[in-house]
Amino acid sequence: MIACLLIPGFELRAALRSRPRLAVVPAALAPEPGREQLVGPVTAAAEAAGVTAGMRLGEALATCPQLVLVDPDPAGAEREWEGVLRRLEDAGFGVEPVEPGVVVFETTGVERLYGGVEAALRKALASVGPAWDPRAGAGGRRFVALAAATVARPGQAVIVEGREEQSFLEPLPLSLLPIDEGRYAELEGLGVRTLGSLASLPGGAVSERLGPEGKRAWSLARGGERRRVRGRSPAAELAEALSFPEAVANELTLRRAFGALLDRLLARPERERRPFRKLALAARLVGGGSWRRTVTLREATAERGRLRSALGPKLTEIPAPVVELRLEAVELAEHAGQQLALLAPEGEETDALLREGLRQVRASAGGGAVGAVVEVAPWSRIPETRAMVVPRDVR
Amino acid sequence: MSSVGGVAARLNAPRPALVETTGGGEPRLVNRELVTVVREEWRVVDRWWTEEPVDRRYFEVVLESGRNVCVYRDGERRCWFTQRA
Repeated sequence: MIACLLIPGFELRAALRSRPRLAVVPAALAPEPGREQLVGPVTAAAEAAGVTAGMRLGEALATCPQLVLVDPDPAGAEREWEGVLRRLEDAGFGVEPVEPGVVVFETTGVERLYGGVEAALRKALASVGPAWDPRAGAGGRRFVALAAATVARPGQAVIVEGREEQSFLEPLPLSLLPIDEGRYAELEGLGVRTLGSLASLPGGAVSERLGPEGKRAWSLARGGERRRVRGRSPAAELAEALSFPEAVANELTLRRAFGALLDRLLARPERERRPFRKLALAARLVGGGSWRRTVTLREATAERGRLRSALGPKLTEIPAPVVELRLEAVELAEHAGQQLALLAPEGEETDALLREGLRQVRASAGGGAVGAVVEVAPWSRIPETRAMVVPRDVR
Repeated sequence: MSSVGGVAARLNAPRPALVETTGGGEPRLVNRELVTVVREEWRVVDRWWTEEPVDRRYFEVVLESGRNVCVYRDGERRCWFTQRA
């Protein structure tokens, strides 16, 4: 069977891990700077006060003036989500993450180990831990599993057998479908309020009226396609971080720190000369928030210049002063080979000599002996803030 | 994700210095060495809006041995430091 584990409002729960007292007051995840001003997931107290996820910020504050806005912590959420996935993997489940808070997996391989589907789901819920209020659902198809997890209570597992699928889906609301607000309104205007009423319409008519999105929703209302779950490959454990003695806001400093991180990441032996396919740049911000951007490269590369030009511009998007900058290799390419250049780039010989010299220093004095001086604020009137020594590894 | 924690360190951090002054507050002895000439003097007042304000009176001096040294008196902490300016 296909199982789905669901943690509603995951980003908010992750952001509240460091501020647990806010979990019991009306609180909502604040909109990200520069995005549409809609509140994210809300706490139960906020929901009781009339605030719902996706509400306009102004409307939410007017509805509940004591609403506390929690700054999003995407890097923290990603870290917590990775922890949840690892715990599931440790329990033997081959997981396919859908989005933070939603993961699907096959139970077939572990049913005999745990003694059936229900026991396997209980194990999955226990491995995630009660603090996250996880819910689980299982069915013959992904959408059925997701729908089952949606109706389950915290810590509960709902299993839908094959012959019950259609009758289980029929009374459920349309909000389970991944369609935009306008489409809901359109369907409701037509008197379609449940999955059952949508599924009973002729597919061709739905497609004609609502387009490809409507056709997909119609297909899901009938249970969706039978697609197997593909367990993810273990994530690459390759990351470099740099903490600053004080919060840094200027772009030049961040660019230099990023350059140092890139050099260190390129020098990591675990990479085994494989080029990067996907990288993530994350920052811990002053005041406790965080920022994260992931970049998938069109062509896997380990060329410093190309990596700099792909990731460097993202630094300008950081919304607040940074106390820690982090560069992660999310995915590496499988191949290590690279086409050689016909002519060696200028300065390569000097560069090789310099690297060899630094390798010797490191070999004789230890790993932390090599550092690079990075000018961070050469204009500063306070001499000790003009430059920093950044630890650096040499390939 | 594992991380290799790299902590950037400050370069040219001030070091405490033993300074004796004249009546006008200028250095006379730096680390028990006589000051022959005070080449320059300037003040740095910055970050007064933060919890770590900077109030320094810098002196670039030449010592008896011929060395050029830069020292300052920290107005906040009321002590002397040496630092390359």
